Amino acid sequence: MNNPVIRVELVSKTFRTRKGGVEAVRDFSLDIERGEVVCVVGASGCGKSTVLNMVAGFIRPTTGKILLDGEEIKGIEPRCGMIFQSYALFPWLTVLDNVAFGSRMKGVSRKERYRCARRWIGLVGLRGFEDAYPGELSGGMQQRVALSRVLANEPQVLLCDEPFAALDAMTRQIMQQELLRIVRESSKTVLFITHSIDEALILSDRLVVMSARPGMVKATFDNDLPRPRHMDIQLTEDFLRLKRRVWELVQKEVVKSMSQK
Amino acid sequence: MQEKGLGLWQVAIVSSMGLLVFLGLWEFFVRIGVIDPFFLPAPSQVLLRMKQMSTGPEAVLLHDVRISAVRVLVGFFLSATAGVPCGLIMGINPVVRAALSPIISIIRPLPALSWIPLSMLWLGIGEEQKYAIVFMGCFASVLVYTMDATMRVDPALSLAARNLGARPFQVVRHVIFPGALPNILSGLKVVLAIAWTCVISAEMVGANSGLGFRIWTAKEWSDTGQVLVGMLSISLTVLLLDITFRGLERLLLPWQTEGTGK
Repeated sequence: MNNPVIRVELVSKTFRTRKGGVEAVRDFSLDIERGEVVCVVGASGCGKSTVLNMVAGFIRPTTGKILLDGEEIKGIEPRCGMIFQSYALFPWLTVLDNVAFGSRMKGVSRKERYRCARRWIGLVGLRGFEDAYPGELSGGMQQRVALSRVLANEPQVLLCDEPFAALDAMTRQIMQQELLRIVRESSKTVLFITHSIDEALILSDRLVVMSARPGMVKATFDNDLPRPRHMDIQLTEDFLRLKRRVWELVQKEVVKSMSQK
Repeated sequence: MQEKGLGLWQVAIVSSMGLLVFLGLWEFFVRIGVIDPFFLPAPSQVLLRMKQMSTGPEAVLLHDVRISAVRVLVGFFLSATAGVPCGLIMGINPVVRAALSPIISIIRPLPALSWIPLSMLWLGIGEEQKYAIVFMGCFASVLVYTMDATMRVDPALSLAARNLGARPFQVVRHVIFPGALPNILSGLKVVLAIAWTCVISAEMVGANSGLGFRIWTAKEWSDTGQVLVGMLSISLTVLLLDITFRGLERLLLPWQTEGTGK
């Protein structure tokens, strides 16, 4: 097997607060192969977002290191494109300019960056909304814009921080399906954080369960549900069997994390 | 988002009726002698005085309005040109913020009036002194409004921009500045009103033209009609500038007025 795209090596993170240090993540290790979709599930406050933010380079690990293509991540890393739960779209830019933002920063000509942006806007099904402002769009549409904005920047890895958590249940399912399609078409490597086991099972090739704080790898499951997947996979026997196994592990951690607060 | 219950026309009608009733009562009480016109002339008398002051040999009103407005705008422009960049830098850089905050905290509470003695000593009573008064009265406010606006820009937007490959300077230029602009502009709108009070005060204390000067001299001659005309002119000019400013806002922030989004 070739080298992993992302290698997280014994990473720990302690945040300093007024009351002393809070250990958010402890000895976390994870390898992600090219084209693989890995979902990390865990209770809220288990440090899963911290792991993602370290891979994006937003924060530095206290100990351990993270490698992208064998090279240590030392600052904010544009090759790891981040999808935020809050969309983080620029409200003063139109959809087209939001999607073209990355190439504008690189100095690509207006004509060229709009051409490229239009292609990605089409791919996420937003043709006709190029001149709309984010505030005029629904949550699901805004997250599509965010997705195409990151994809237009051609990252090696897609980082997703509970991107669909703020959407209603039906929109969320549509978006999951869209993401599956886009990932398949672009064969992207994905690291996806969620607290929904269903979501993790639908999307992932591999599933990592994190423990309550400090966040550690509690268990890893290979998700062998057949692809391409559709939403009705949630009704199959295999899905439910896998879900039960994951839930038994997660449940203990949820209870533990609730007693921490 | 419509007004609760009232349409645009209904609001216009009710508003003008409110104004008419107010003016009518005022006129009425002066006419029947409850109010002494020496202390408060009736609206009709004020209007007459206004006509006298804007036509014929005594036509000083428009001249005064223009002179005061130019003082306000020059001073305002200077303070915005200096205050917005300083506020941005202070909002972005915690070291600069910590270094300059004490100085700003000392300057900001000072009323523009308190700068009049020093400014007259340094600059006389010419135009420069008026600009200086406005500048001193407005600069710190512009700066603080801009600093607050800068610090209120969602940090996730800066992270997203960095994640998309923007360099730190590009983040300031393409994210922090446009993100702070709505709050900077609403701060500037407040400061524009402050600039007016600065100019009027400065003109009352030492000047030989402008609306403040006109009001002050009218009081010396017990010309209450002229005092009211001066006051009314201030209101109308500020109103006009405010409308212009709103238009400017709409031009600069198309994303805030279109659609129902915030």
